[in-house]
Amino acid sequence: MFLITSKIVKLILLSALLPLNYTSAEMTSLSDNDLSEVDGAGVGLVLDDFVFSHGNDVANDKVFKIKGLTDSNGDAVSINVNQLYIARSGSNYGTTLDPVNLGRLTNPYEIKLLDGDDADVKLPGEGVLQISAPSKVDIAGTGYSCIDPTLGAGTGDCSSRPSSAGWLNGERPDMGLELEITTNTGGPKNLNFNAKSAVFDGSYIRLWGDDDNKKMAAEFRLNFYTPELEISTCSQANQGCSSSVKMQDFQLELALGTTFQPLYIGADNITGGLTVEISKITHEYINNLNAGVSDGTANGDAAHSFFTDYYTNDSYRSNIVIGNLDVGGTSLGSAKVEGMLIQYLDIKFRDLAP
Amino acid sequence: MKIKFQTFILCALTSVNCFAEMASINDSELSEVTGQSGVYLSGEVSINEQGGPLTDSYFGECTDLTKSCGARLSFQTQESGGWFVIDDIKGSIAFEGLTFQVKEITSGFGGDGALFNKSVMEIGMPESIRMNDFEFTLATGSSSRPSDAGYQQLDFMTVEMSGELTLEGNLLVFPTP
Repeated sequence: MFLITSKIVKLILLSALLPLNYTSAEMTSLSDNDLSEVDGAGVGLVLDDFVFSHGNDVANDKVFKIKGLTDSNGDAVSINVNQLYIARSGSNYGTTLDPVNLGRLTNPYEIKLLDGDDADVKLPGEGVLQISAPSKVDIAGTGYSCIDPTLGAGTGDCSSRPSSAGWLNGERPDMGLELEITTNTGGPKNLNFNAKSAVFDGSYIRLWGDDDNKKMAAEFRLNFYTPELEISTCSQANQGCSSSVKMQDFQLELALGTTFQPLYIGADNITGGLTVEISKITHEYINNLNAGVSDGTANGDAAHSFFTDYYTNDSYRSNIVIGNLDVGGTSLGSAKVEGMLIQYLDIKFRDLAP
Repeated sequence: MKIKFQTFILCALTSVNCFAEMASINDSELSEVTGQSGVYLSGEVSINEQGGPLTDSYFGECTDLTKSCGARLSFQTQESGGWFVIDDIKGSIAFEGLTFQVKEITSGFGGDGALFNKSVMEIGMPESIRMNDFEFTLATGSSSRPSDAGYQQLDFMTVEMSGELTLEGNLLVFPTP
């Protein structure tokens, strides 16, 4: 009797414990739909209601200086940064600091790891780190003119929107750097750089490890568009003076480095100077070309096809276009430098000790 | 007697068997919970204001003008190459009101908010940020340590900042496809 009761007790004990696991908070599996929204490939960054400004202003206990520079005689050059600012367009040389957005939620600044095997990355077997500005979009869709901030959607291929009545912040900041330079021989001189409604869409830097050369390699694209880039020598108090060079409708599309001709930035291990290098263009089957024509072999055809792409693909080329150059109030018309292709670059910095 | 005791234990244990169901919190209940989701930070970061712990032929106290007293960061981008250097990092940055919170965006942003319709991590810029004699030097060097034999360094410039900065806005961080 006791034995039976003991077994019953154990059984009931077991059954009493089992329901403890019975809660209705069921773990559910993630559906494909849920998962499709999370892939962790990249991190998007948007600056909302952003304003930055700092400048040397002794009266208000502010210091912003650049030191350590010398002139050709070896004398120290002192630079006061009167103002460095990023604010909403219409800032009037940084005097009105309203907030601006940088990047769009639907097309943000991004840090991303790319797969080198992808057709548009073209680095088989490599992992590539990309830091990018908002990408360009189709003109027919929601793209805006990269230059003219008065135009609406469907007028260009830039994603960042200008400040407008419906969207005051916009995604195109005014930016400026206003310097006051004092040398041993001359009093303070001003040098100011101010850009209105600036756009960086389509810019990116890709970094990867070059196994053959044991170097960090890069592909760099800098797109910079502004309706007006002004370089002036005006005083801090009178930024709108006439001592200025205004580059209106300014477009810079700088292409430095490609996957087959990367940009290497490093330092020299003897002099300690900065080095910037783009290795010379070549191809493993370049000897199968005779006067620019394939020798008929598969290797020759591959080399010919490679160089045809190299010389015709606009994405490898840099452009600078100035819609109107205005020097001190005199218009000099437009200026263009288009289709620059860098075939070899080797820059070495060294100390010019007098 | 034993049976009675065991029955008692049995009764005591079976009473554990209750169904306290976990129920989901609905939106209206959640909407009453506020101020619990974020972090508000104030503080001061000070780097080598008086000088670092090292004293040798290159580093020393900040009062010794012949020595470098700031922190130093160097990195290399090629095997057996030279080094990029951020040298002489010193001074302090004090900030008040740096915030972190998770925020759902469903509207605003010139129409992008409704299209986006997701949560983001929001890092709010401090209400005030003040630098005190903060400076650093950008340079390149021939080897990693300035005390190495034959070391050469090329300084580009030294940046010095002090005083209250104008820095407003929120940095929104979110995963992208």
